[in-house]
Amino acid sequence: MQLAPVDYLILIVYFAFVLGIGWMLRKRMSSSSDFLMAGRSVPVWITSLAFIAANLGAQELIGMSASGAKYGIMTAHFYWIGAIPAILFVGIFMMPFYYGSKARSVPEYLKMRFDEKTRTYNAVSFAVMTIFSSGISMFALGELLHLALGWDFNVSVLASAAIVMAYTFLGGLTSAIYNEVLQFLLIVAGFSPLAILAVAKAGGWQGMASRLQPVMTHAWAYAGSTKDNPMGVEVFGIVAGLGFVLSFGYWCTNFLVVQRAMAARSMSDARRTPLIGAFPKMFIPFIVIVPGIAAVALAKMGAGYSLPLADKGGPDYNQVITTLMAKFYPAGLLGVGLTGLMASFMSGMAGNVTAFNQVWTYDIYQSHIRKNAPDRHYLNVGRVTTIVGVLLSIGAAYVAHYYDNIMDLLQLVFGFVNAPLFATFLLGMFWKRTTGHGAFWGLVTGTVVASFTWCLTVAEGKGGILGNLHEFPSAMAQSWWIAMLAFTGCLLVTLMVSMATRPKAQKELEGLVYGLTKMPDTSGDVWYERPWPLAIGAVAILIVLNFWLF
Amino acid sequence: MMDLRLPSGLFFTVIGLILVGMGVFAPETRAALTDANVNLYSGLAMLAFGVFLLVMAKLGSGKAGGGKA
Repeated sequence: MQLAPVDYLILIVYFAFVLGIGWMLRKRMSSSSDFLMAGRSVPVWITSLAFIAANLGAQELIGMSASGAKYGIMTAHFYWIGAIPAILFVGIFMMPFYYGSKARSVPEYLKMRFDEKTRTYNAVSFAVMTIFSSGISMFALGELLHLALGWDFNVSVLASAAIVMAYTFLGGLTSAIYNEVLQFLLIVAGFSPLAILAVAKAGGWQGMASRLQPVMTHAWAYAGSTKDNPMGVEVFGIVAGLGFVLSFGYWCTNFLVVQRAMAARSMSDARRTPLIGAFPKMFIPFIVIVPGIAAVALAKMGAGYSLPLADKGGPDYNQVITTLMAKFYPAGLLGVGLTGLMASFMSGMAGNVTAFNQVWTYDIYQSHIRKNAPDRHYLNVGRVTTIVGVLLSIGAAYVAHYYDNIMDLLQLVFGFVNAPLFATFLLGMFWKRTTGHGAFWGLVTGTVVASFTWCLTVAEGKGGILGNLHEFPSAMAQSWWIAMLAFTGCLLVTLMVSMATRPKAQKELEGLVYGLTKMPDTSGDVWYERPWPLAIGAVAILIVLNFWLF
Repeated sequence: MMDLRLPSGLFFTVIGLILVGMGVFAPETRAALTDANVNLYSGLAMLAFGVFLLVMAKLGSGKAGGGKA
């Protein structure tokens, strides 16, 4: 891929805006709450877009187009069965507790609901996970720029990390959120032309379907048995593993996304943040997955596009998106597409760094290292943590080199941290008998179960360090099962330990547990500002999409 | 709070103008597999979106999305 001066110009304009936003916000950062929590004053359309943008990192763009080329439209289950129902659930059922409890973070909610050790366990595992996620994102982008443009891996990683560091350092969470929205818009603007051009060249959806194996263009028809589809999954795995455990675990308990909703101005805005975000979210497959499918069809047409090859032979699906850009984008639009790629990386990284920042400052530093310092001190700690967080992510980027499919690793990490945590939250929020000891030991069990499952099973030559009890058809199936087992382990142990230990007094649980909390009254609002009508609208569109691509 | 529609509207206006400029002054710019003047079309779309955001910012300053701009 060759860049023209105009492409560099677009890249520079974008960097100028990103840094400019951080610069303009710097004066507003006068307390740790401004810096770390955006002062709970961000308008709802902004938090909604940031809610989904924080998750739309480089690994999502690259990984989803790669999975699209590898597995076909079944990849869209990550959105339609995975993300959307979980997003609706968090808006309707969980946000009243998160926002209403006045907790500043997800771990802090755990402290209020359970105890200090549960919070610390979660805060530490979350901190490690965010660093890894942002490292993976960074690695994905650096490698891609190296392959596509011949840019030096180290230089592209360090330069984009430096820009993220600059604007989060200046404007904290507000700056990260504002930039995420700009990045989201740019990703859409930069990638939808690619989807349109690639699909049109491949003869439209019908033309693609006629050239591909039918499994590539059907979301459900081949999900009856693990042998019928290249993903190696079936309906139960999709619904229970991906749809229930993994996605609910991610969207409902991951502070990275929940933090965006918590920055909203009011309870109503906080609940609508995920609900409004769900609408654009369900159409993202059309710009990230469909180009991957189109690429395979184009390669079969012999029209001048062929799938990128890996050094070891076989196609390198991670390069699908850049090779398409090289073939379809002329100088000018190419700059926009490339800037979109960089934007997605920054969006993912800034999301992770700001979430890491708040959890470190409030849940680890303030509760264990220095308790009663003046607020000014924590503001400074937050600023320093921004720098440390970016540096740690750079380290993680080099660790990520070991794995070839980025998505699989991410799924694995979520299986270790988020899946058991979702069991803890379900019990904690909806069963007042759940105790702190129960929650803590449940979480520990979940993590141990996840690790052992990975060490005792094999998929695509990975895992199985301690032996091979079972071989999964794909790494994706393996990680879904790890998540389900970790969830079940955590659920059972939490139940058993809770029954054997003394629960908190009901009075202490007001505002934290379903049944002891007054749910916000929304009957006075206009229908489109009420959570339920929004959620029902989203589900209706979702059903149509699933039938359309059945 | 700064009104985000302002900088993002400005951003898309600038990018849109650059692309439209390419589309008008170098209309023969093509990639290997494109047949149309895609710079012009996508540039016009981005320009329209940018102007739309700017108009919204102008109309809504102090209201709903804007906060105390």
